[in-house]
Amino acid sequence: MISKRSIAFLLFAPLIVSSCGTKEQSNTGKARISYNCSANAVEIKHLQEELPSFADSTGVEINLQPFTGQEKLYAMIAAEQPPDIFYTNNVLRDRLAAEGRLLDMRSLSAGDPFTGRLWPDVYSQGFSADGGLYSVGNWNFTAGVYYNKDLFNKAGLRYPDTSWTWNDLLAAARRIAAERNASGEPEHYGLYIPSHFVEIFELMNGAPVQQRSLFLNLSEPSLEVYRQYLALMNDRLMPDLRRMQAMGMQASQLLQTGKVAMLVEAVPHQVLFETLTIRWGVAPIPRFGTRPVRCFRSESGGLSISSQTANAQAAWKALKWIIAGASIYQPNPVLRDADFVTGWEARYPRLVGSGFREVWQRSLRHPAGDPRFFVRFSSWTSASILEHLQPLLDKLWARETTIEALVASQPDINRAARTELERLIQRGALREEFIKAIKEQLLQASHEPQR
Amino acid sequence: MNGFQSYDRSPTALGTLVRSGAVYVILAVISAGFLLPLAWMLSVSLQDVRGVFAQPFAWIPPQPRWENYSDVATLIPLGRYLLNTVVVTGLVLLGTVLSCSLVAYGFSRIRFRGRTVLFALCLSTMMLPGQVTMIPLYVMFSRLGWVDTLWPLIIPSFFGSPFYIFLLRQFFLTIPREYDEAARLDGAGRFRVYWSIILPLARPALITVALFTFIGTWNDFFTPLIYINSPEHATLTLGLNMLKSQIVGTGMTQWHLLMAAACMVMLPNIVLFTLAQKYLVKGIAMGGLR
Repeated sequence: MISKRSIAFLLFAPLIVSSCGTKEQSNTGKARISYNCSANAVEIKHLQEELPSFADSTGVEINLQPFTGQEKLYAMIAAEQPPDIFYTNNVLRDRLAAEGRLLDMRSLSAGDPFTGRLWPDVYSQGFSADGGLYSVGNWNFTAGVYYNKDLFNKAGLRYPDTSWTWNDLLAAARRIAAERNASGEPEHYGLYIPSHFVEIFELMNGAPVQQRSLFLNLSEPSLEVYRQYLALMNDRLMPDLRRMQAMGMQASQLLQTGKVAMLVEAVPHQVLFETLTIRWGVAPIPRFGTRPVRCFRSESGGLSISSQTANAQAAWKALKWIIAGASIYQPNPVLRDADFVTGWEARYPRLVGSGFREVWQRSLRHPAGDPRFFVRFSSWTSASILEHLQPLLDKLWARETTIEALVASQPDINRAARTELERLIQRGALREEFIKAIKEQLLQASHEPQR
Repeated sequence: MNGFQSYDRSPTALGTLVRSGAVYVILAVISAGFLLPLAWMLSVSLQDVRGVFAQPFAWIPPQPRWENYSDVATLIPLGRYLLNTVVVTGLVLLGTVLSCSLVAYGFSRIRFRGRTVLFALCLSTMMLPGQVTMIPLYVMFSRLGWVDTLWPLIIPSFFGSPFYIFLLRQFFLTIPREYDEAARLDGAGRFRVYWSIILPLARPALITVALFTFIGTWNDFFTPLIYINSPEHATLTLGLNMLKSQIVGTGMTQWHLLMAAACMVMLPNIVLFTLAQKYLVKGIAMGGLR
């Protein structure tokens, strides 16, 4: 006699086992490509709706693998089961390419009209030290100064435009911050520049961007920007960084509440577009005196194809569709033929007349690349450099150290970077072409004056 | 003068009253500090996305948006994720309780050569951070063809967990051996003693282990993140992350929906904690027994 418990077990066990799942196998005869999209519910939903028609028209099925964070990617790479297509930033791309884990897409892209649709900088950025094409930029943005129109009106200031300079910005900030409360704090601070945007001003001030450079060299234009940035806090034109962080204030809240009249942020910036209820506009990052205009444009990452992909042609088709076909990413600013501004104005009508168009077009006219290409963010030694430099920068912004002390620490930082690099070469995990390129750079650096 | 009057008017009693009053006030303030994030979460779950960034923050939403809770289900397949989570949590619970109690029984009741060394070895595995074993385990499960299934989340629980083995062993040591001996005299074998004598007597400890396992597995984000690739095999914590992550270049976190989903996901934990807090407290104390 079978007991009731056994019957229940027999009924439920297959159900449980089946819900634990087995690996799905494609039996449609179509090529199957896995794509590590970001783990965002809206993005996944949109992609899932469009994937069947893409598969029908191209014979390529895209299997979504939504996750964010590099731990999983590393585990998958170690198990030799990486997704066919995944996002890489500069550093990761070069490292994986040097380890032979990325597909060189030159043979796929050569003669493909798709590459002609990309902005040249987006395309050329994917080339690594050995001349191989290891990624294609999949998104782009610039930066601007968002301002509160009512506070500008109240202070009798004209709205900033494309002609304004750093001195104009300072003058406007001073006028806005002139009104002080009993404790001497401004009723409204002039502006707020989050510390990770300081690099954009370094770029605008003419700091040289040396891609793949190995050692830190803080140039005079960068140091000048650091001085100006500290002066903003010392003169109470900008709220104290550490205090803002301690209060947990979001940058958008500072602008929304009138705590600051100007805010430096990314353009486009969906959080600001959706949450600001004040009357606002956006202006370009101001130039420094007579220095030429050099606009920040992000180019520091893109989509790569794994060298272990079973079907490179199908992966290339999928990559092109993700960038230029999937509606969730359209209009995509990396495409020359996409009217990005009009598309975003249609999505957010309040952008019309806000200055968004001018900021974007100016960045296209005067692209100066990405300050994340500074040696501290984009080279073989960037991790080591940042590990030592970032705490010093944090101290500098907290006014616990000086610019002179920062400059004096450069040799130590570079020494640590060199040691780390030599260890990497000795480990022997890199391809010969890359080791050769690094050694050449090291040799070149040894001929340069000691920093 | 009766006793009541003497108690009521005694300066010592008054002092005690004031002291306990002060303790309660301090505890209430500390509790409020802990409850504040929960209150914020609940409040945001009933607002629109602008409410999250509003200054001053409206703790009681003027027009509560109850539809946030149903909107979550339109963005992520909540039912599917709930089923996956229930299956994983249920099987992990079963595996942990069975395997840990069996191993703990061995360490507490069976005398064999190398028992102390083995027990120390078992405990020492607690010192290994998960990140160290992550890649080798991933490679192993990948070779077994189990990546992107729920098996890697479930099967390890059938091989015991050192902390729970330790916890149960400590409890088993408090059960008098005379029970075992009486059963053995009646002809019971070791497994019968374990199953029919020890397990029923260790019910409070088993409930504690089950509770800790439930909370740990229900809230686990890292393990599913590593082993699950497809959205259809995701658990609730991965689902929450899908509401948090931003779309490349274009998206923002839908905080109001994320908080609504978080409220729903944490509900079983709150109910469980309310019903079984005495076991949880006992369990923490039990770690220090003997």
